[in-house]
This record gives sequence, C-alpha cells and structure tokens, in this order.
Amino acid sequence: MAALLKKAGRNMEYGYYPGCSLTGSAKKLDQGVRQVCKKLGHSLMEIPDWNCCGALEYGDRNELLSISGENLKKTEGMHREIVVPCPACYKNLKDADSDKSYNILSPLELLNSDNLSKMEQKNDLKGQVFFPYYGCLLMRPEGSSIRNKNIMEDAISVFGGDIDGEKMKDRCCGGNQLFLNKWVTEKLSNLILTKSKGTIVVFCPFCHMAMKTFAEGRKVIYLTDLLLYVMGENKSL
Amino acid sequence: MELAGHRREDFSVCMGCKVCASVCTINDLNIDMNPQEFLLKVFMGEEIKADNPLVRYCTSCYRCTSACPWQIRIPEVVRAVKESLGIEARFEKAFKMSLNIWGRVYEPFVVVMSAPDLLKGGYIKYLPKWMEYAGFHFPHKVKRLSTSNALKGGSSSKEGRS
Repeated sequence: MAALLKKAGRNMEYGYYPGCSLTGSAKKLDQGVRQVCKKLGHSLMEIPDWNCCGALEYGDRNELLSISGENLKKTEGMHREIVVPCPACYKNLKDADSDKSYNILSPLELLNSDNLSKMEQKNDLKGQVFFPYYGCLLMRPEGSSIRNKNIMEDAISVFGGDIDGEKMKDRCCGGNQLFLNKWVTEKLSNLILTKSKGTIVVFCPFCHMAMKTFAEGRKVIYLTDLLLYVMGENKSL
Repeated sequence: MELAGHRREDFSVCMGCKVCASVCTINDLNIDMNPQEFLLKVFMGEEIKADNPLVRYCTSCYRCTSACPWQIRIPEVVRAVKESLGIEARFEKAFKMSLNIWGRVYEPFVVVMSAPDLLKGGYIKYLPKWMEYAGFHFPHKVKRLSTSNALKGGSSSKEGRS
C-alpha cells in the first residue's frame, strides 16, 4: 500500500472514467477533477468509448458486472491506473475488477498530506466552517471504499478551515431515492443537515443534488471547488 | 430459487445476528426495518410483496453490509428482488432505456421520460435550485458493447427470479 500511495504522489498518467453524471449534471465535478489533476501534474486520458457503469440500477449481479467490466476491457493495454470520480462508478468498476488487475482510484486517493501542503495557496479558509460529507459509496462496502476516510478533513484543515458534523459524514442522504420517493431523500438529508453546520463539501453527484435540493441557505460545493478556490483558480467558494 | 447472480449461498451464511437491523437507514424514516427477516424470506423462497419497505425505500447505503460479520450485500439482494417484482418506476425504466439506446445515461432523455412523475411529484419547485445542473449536450452513442449481452434489453426484470 505504501508503494501505491507513493505512486499516487508522483506525476502520473492515468486512465480517466468520467461516468454519465459528469457529462451532464455533475459537469462541475468533471471540470474540477481535470483542473486539480492538472495542477498536481497528473494527466488524465479519458477511456475511449466508455459506457455507463450501470450505477445502482441493476439487480442482476452478472449483468451489472458485465456492463461495468466492459470499461476495463476498453482500457486494456493502455492504463492500469484508472481515476473514477463518481462514487457509484468507482464502486462498480472496483467490483468488476475481480482479480484486481487494475488500480481503480478516486481522485480523493490522489491527494495526500504531502501534495496538499505543497499546493500553491492564494486563499485560505480561516474562520470558515465546513462539513465534509462523504455519503455512502466512498465509505462502504469495505472492499470498494477509499483508503483514507479523512482526506476531506485533512484538505480543509491544511488550509485553515474548521470542521463540523463529523458524526454525519458517512450517513446516507437518500440521493438515489430523490426521483422515486422524494420524502425519503428529504427526511434523510434533513437529518444530516440539522446535525451539521457550515458549507457542505461533497464528492458525490447524488449527495450534491440531495444536499442542494434540501439545504436552505447553505452552500454545497465539491471538494474540487474548494481546492480551486484555495489555489486562486476560483474567485469565490 | 436463484436470484440473478445472487446465489443462495451468498446469504445462507447469515447468522441471524440482526446487526443489519440496528444500522439500517430505513429506521431513520420511522419504519422498523429488519433486513435479516428479508434475507430469511428470500432464503426460504417466500413471496416478498411489492410494498415491503426495504424493496421500496432501500437507498443502497451499505450500512448493513458494512456492519454484517459476513459482509452480505443486502442492498444488491434487495435490488434483485425489486427487479424480479417488475415494480420499477418510470425513472428507473428510463435509465435502463437510455443505456440500451446509447450505452450511457443521457439525462435530458431520462428527465423527459419520467416527466409525468416529476410533474405530479412536486419537483417543479426545485427547478431554481437545479439550474446549475442544466446545460445541453448531445448524446454520445457508445460504439463497442460487444461482449455485453446484458445490454440487449430490459429482459432481466422478468428473469430475475426462477
């Protein structure tokens, strides 16, 4: 694992799987990830002709794995290290890679205390409160979760921001019920919102939408927005 | 009985400890939920009704899996049961339809296809908040889906349980 982390610290070329949301409603996350990676000196090469990972919509395990796995085949011979921002895609691609011949990475796994502290800093976050909210799929299940489950807190505190709502960081916002049973998402999101304060920092398109829909008067941003603000690329949060 | 890739052996390891019940997100909705009971029903081949709260409201949060001594992926079993019951909403059907047409989810298509539910469901009031998600792009048609016979059509929902 140390070797992997070390690798993540060096400038590298990665395969890149944006996923469907990142071409539409989560375009901001796609742009943010590309910009932050560029700043870190990594280049992202989009997997040619990638297809949907199947998200959480397929009950047939074999069907889901075959849909997700198709993407790994499309990168064969090109990249073994694949950056996958969307947590649902990340989980599915990790599951499809049953013999672990690929290294499926969340952009969060490209960050570490070393490259965060070296990041050029034009703005700081002093005096501001943030609620780093991971949601479910980055944290669970164990086999397909990110390695450092405090990376967003690390990033926020390196730049002087205050953290709140730690107990709620891995609770479910009900995002995937938003268009099925809205009241479910509303209730679950409100539970999280009432037990946290400050700007909501997310990394999942589902969580972004659920939080955005039900948070009154609170900002909802991707971690990439925060990093780009710190680096002076974004004028405001 | 076999559930689309979720073999009986997958959940026969359940020891009945009910730790899943203590963490299930559905409890936060003031609905008493015991996923272990659900697993037992599936294991025994009992009929599961479409109004089962787990089938209707499971958010795939995987808190149960994470707490389970055997890491049983209950949300995936629930999903398989839901598919076999053929009770998917317009939104879910549109999602799969888009995948069948383009190989990707084209959001404008999904929104249009599920518009009747969205209009009835009181989603219009959120439009101002959702403006940042709007933006137009043409659908991209994936060329290669060669080995995946899974993408031929939504037939799986009928074959889910046998």
